Amino acid sequence: MTVARDAAPLREPGDPMTGPDPVAPAIWEEVELTEEDQELRKKLIRVWGDGPGLWGWIRSTSHASIGKRYVVTAFIFFLLGGLEAGMMRLQLSRPENSFLGPDRYNQIFTMHGTTMMFLFAVPVMVAMGLYLVPLMVGAREVAFSRLNAYGYWVYLIGGLFIYTQFFLNTGPDTGWFAYVPLSGPEFSPGKRVDTWAQMITFTEIAALAGATEIVITAFKHRAPGMSLNRIPLFVWAMITTSFMIIFAMPAVATGSQFLAADRLIDTHFFNHAEGGDALLWQHLFWFFGHPEVYIIFMPALGIISSIVPTFTRRPIFGYPVMVMALITTGFMSFGLWVHHMFATPIPQLGQSFFTAASTMIAIPTGVQIFCWIATIWAGRPRFATPLLFVLGFFFTFIIGGLSGVMIASVAFDQQAHDTYFIVAHLHYVLLGGAVMPLFGGFYYWFPKFTGRLMNERMGKWNFWLFFIGVNVTFFPMHILGLEGMTRRIYTYLPETGWGPLNALVSGGAVLIVASVALFIFNFFRSLRHGAVAGDNPWGADTLEWATASPPEPYVFLYPPVVQSRNPLWTEGRERPVFTGLRTDIRDTLVTTTLDATPDYRQNSPNPTAWPFIAALATGVMFISAIFTAWGLVVGSVLLFFPLVKWGWPDRHDQSVRYSGRGEIVEK
Amino acid sequence: MKRYKAVGDVSELPSVVFGKRAITWWGTLMFMFIEGMTVAVCAASYLYIRKNFHDWPPPPTPLPSLLIPTIGVITMLVSIVVMRRVQKAAEALDKPAVTTGLVVMALLGMALVALRFFDFRSLNTHWDTDAYGSTAWASVAFHSTLLFFEAIETTVFAVLALVGPWEMKHFSDAEDNAMYWYFMCGIWIPVYVLLFILPRWL
Amino acid sequence: MLHRSLQRALVVATCFLTACVAGFNESALRPEGPQAGRIGSLWWFMFAVAAAVWLIVNAFLVWAVRRGRRRDLPLIEPTGDAPMKRSVVIGTGITVLILTVFLVSDIATGHALGSMPRKDALRIEVKGHQWWWEVNYVDPTPGRMVTTANEIHIPVGEPVQIIGTSPDVIHSFWIPNLQGKKDLIPGHTTSTWLRADTAGVYRGQCAEFCGAQHAKMIALVIAEPRDKFEAWYNSQLDSAKAPSDSVTTRGQQVFLKSACAVCHTISGTRAGGRIGPVLSHIGSRTTLASGWLRNTPGNLGGWIVDPQGIKPGTKMPPNNIDPADLQALITYLESLK
Repeated sequence: MTVARDAAPLREPGDPMTGPDPVAPAIWEEVELTEEDQELRKKLIRVWGDGPGLWGWIRSTSHASIGKRYVVTAFIFFLLGGLEAGMMRLQLSRPENSFLGPDRYNQIFTMHGTTMMFLFAVPVMVAMGLYLVPLMVGAREVAFSRLNAYGYWVYLIGGLFIYTQFFLNTGPDTGWFAYVPLSGPEFSPGKRVDTWAQMITFTEIAALAGATEIVITAFKHRAPGMSLNRIPLFVWAMITTSFMIIFAMPAVATGSQFLAADRLIDTHFFNHAEGGDALLWQHLFWFFGHPEVYIIFMPALGIISSIVPTFTRRPIFGYPVMVMALITTGFMSFGLWVHHMFATPIPQLGQSFFTAASTMIAIPTGVQIFCWIATIWAGRPRFATPLLFVLGFFFTFIIGGLSGVMIASVAFDQQAHDTYFIVAHLHYVLLGGAVMPLFGGFYYWFPKFTGRLMNERMGKWNFWLFFIGVNVTFFPMHILGLEGMTRRIYTYLPETGWGPLNALVSGGAVLIVASVALFIFNFFRSLRHGAVAGDNPWGADTLEWATASPPEPYVFLYPPVVQSRNPLWTEGRERPVFTGLRTDIRDTLVTTTLDATPDYRQNSPNPTAWPFIAALATGVMFISAIFTAWGLVVGSVLLFFPLVKWGWPDRHDQSVRYSGRGEIVEK
Repeated sequence: MKRYKAVGDVSELPSVVFGKRAITWWGTLMFMFIEGMTVAVCAASYLYIRKNFHDWPPPPTPLPSLLIPTIGVITMLVSIVVMRRVQKAAEALDKPAVTTGLVVMALLGMALVALRFFDFRSLNTHWDTDAYGSTAWASVAFHSTLLFFEAIETTVFAVLALVGPWEMKHFSDAEDNAMYWYFMCGIWIPVYVLLFILPRWL
Repeated sequence: MLHRSLQRALVVATCFLTACVAGFNESALRPEGPQAGRIGSLWWFMFAVAAAVWLIVNAFLVWAVRRGRRRDLPLIEPTGDAPMKRSVVIGTGITVLILTVFLVSDIATGHALGSMPRKDALRIEVKGHQWWWEVNYVDPTPGRMVTTANEIHIPVGEPVQIIGTSPDVIHSFWIPNLQGKKDLIPGHTTSTWLRADTAGVYRGQCAEFCGAQHAKMIALVIAEPRDKFEAWYNSQLDSAKAPSDSVTTRGQQVFLKSACAVCHTISGTRAGGRIGPVLSHIGSRTTLASGWLRNTPGNLGGWIVDPQGIKPGTKMPPNNIDPADLQALITYLESLK
């Protein structure tokens, strides 16, 4: 494998090519289509295109269309969660403030956490995966594209449902992890907590659907030649994340149903008077809850591993070690959950095990950080906004990681637990570790999603406002926590002395708001006026940059063949491809799991409205279940019909028919 | 100028395959992981609650009855054998055998669903009696969603085989259905042992 | 573990940042007992190491970025990866070492916390309620058990065991100057040991979200010399002071006639309610409404008349008492020292 080794500067994004560069130009060049290619293109657009108008959009099973709407929806929830945070900071900016009363504040802090964790963070990462993983592995479509549509609609319905309840003053108010007995039937009457519990069902179904599709696309739909050791690190991150979703989500899904049952039909899972246990809820929730934060964090690690090579113009150092680090982190994340319960009467020996595990999980992440720094050292960094956000990650996330290692210690956690020290830690790791790389990813892949580049100057302002805002907002919280300020308090006395730092924190939050507002402005302005991006405006190495910007409905005209870990850097002036996929149906290539040799052709299903209708039926099922357990029964019956129609062969389907006597009839 | 270079052709590749070559096999596998975890969580909750009681089942709840659940387990084992023959027929592309087999499996599925109602009664407790009742019912209930789903799916499949339009890929789907049937039966065995047999010793 | 004067400087700095001089001395960083002291030492050690790690890693990052920006360097062939391999291995090795040291420090601190002497400890049962603290001093002699609320007196320099539970939802008892927190969980009993080595008033907020008024559920631990503690304890053992003049007599009558007795107990009277805090010695408490208000006649009057205005959602209903009766009631209650 060779890397361009001349000393001439490589092309800056958005600028015309600068300087002579004998080898490099090929990286940015788009493929010139022959007559034959053009004919094929026309046929494929007909076969792979969505129908027109709103109905076409609802029936779409295109991973690109669904991926984009998924990201946009998640971002809207991010904004709502941010508004909630803004209201909280306004209330807390002064002691004994009267902007929000306790009931309203408790609903708002619950909605803030719930929105950010369940409606923004996981969905946006899954959505980025659903859009990018097929592109990066050279596939035309995600596996099980109808399931993809269903997952999105279920997510949207769940999110709309909980927000409708919130606006009707029936929003949940017991925190994003809803500890019993407070969230149980005796101390939280009404439907607030039931709403929360069923929202979990919706988001969990969507996440599981997305995770399943990502794993199978990454295992079976890879371009020929993309053996396991050539898979981009972002795809490895998404594979690991997806397995974590598959093994972690059932715990919270089951637990939330236990809670709903305690509230609706008098079960006693968490009722100690009848042998239940409040700690059972905590175990069930945190068994999911700890992997959950790594589910959010890991795709961001993948984003960094996509941005760093492109903007340092060399491959990531230590690829095998990076993959092992991701997988190790994924496994280890299941062994930490009790560190959320150090203030409970769990035996000390048990607690010490979780301290050890919680401390040691820093090692694989540390290894990744060192490998990135090594890559930057050996490369030629080019400062564009994506790289700025990655650098911001280093400065910010490391603080969060270090405070995390501190609270892994039982002794120290007993002071820090449930105080603003924890709030500081979690925001440093989430904002520094997940959101900063995510914004970097937005700037990086915006040209691919839309065909235009975002404005760099605004990008830099966006970054600096965000970076400074996050640090001004959350660093003082470490001190506040140690000074006695506990979490989830709607007000505090002036004599505590927490006033000045809280005012500073609230001031920092204003910077964050400004930063996000600037991002939104940049987004819309660039959509209309941004510099037109070609296929590969950054000169990157992975396969998503081998498609048009935005990709055509068929994504890849021919299945690309991959011969190295950095295909676009090594292919030169010829892009190797396989011919032979059908042009009259949505034909996709399936390859073997380990070595990605071509194996068989899979017919990707045509667009259909049945996943949408099934999602509506699912909505009826789980929303009515809040009011009566019979809702589950009625809902199941309702769900039966669209599910059958979804899977029943279509008369117009172009699949291979069976004629009755063992003959194969190709249509 | 950059151009495409054809290095091979895939038009001769089949469009229907069996076993772990097929993406539907992998989809079934992921579903097994998810449902397996759910059942494991129910079982873990049942065991966790055990420490809150001196006796198990907590008095006055009697021990669960063994008769009907055991009949159910035996029926499941029989159904696995039958399903294996359906699987073999599907791999041999033997449509009539697959059709007959699926109809028999649909009937077995209905029988198991009927028996399942008696499994609940055999627990000799109610979901709202105490935490023992809640966790025992939860374990049976969550497994029942697997059973009902699989019984219904097999029945729909049998109808498809009877009235068509049957496609080549449905042979592969029949094999995946078989795999999931084995899982649904297989994962019930430890639940059955945990709920109906172990309390006699726990 | 950090040099003494540096520790003091850091304490002063945090004090300045939080204007602690304004009021309470509540802080995990100003320990007044061995438990919080040991945790505090662990904290400063970890903070120092963490700060150094952050500085060093980011210094390397900055160096790496600057090195790459020098355009005269050719792109490096992958075969030249040896120095990078070395750095990653060394970095990982140092990380493992530091984390192991942290782990050992934590275990050592945990061990030290468990080895605080416990002989002849004072045993106090704390029950968390929505949104106040029920405090029962455990004594082998039934007649010598004191029940009070929200304010916990302890003798300086002697070990205290806090036995915690809750009849309603999960709360968490936390006095940062003295010890880490312990959750109070329905159906479970928790136990934590602490000791105050300096006399003073130590404040702590409930540290587990417990509903509408979680923010205003505050506990005070008042550490005083042994003799003062005993004097307080003995006065708590006495029945509530009987009314000695017409105003306090009227006040007691108002108390008994109104809804107060449904929830509150005043020993020696027929008021035996068990829903709210015991009021037998309310006059001797420094705060009201679970540490939220200073115990003054004005605040007491405001609390009695309109508790919902001060702690919306609290279990105490408003009381419509005419001003003269209210004055008498306040005087009576303040007399219950």
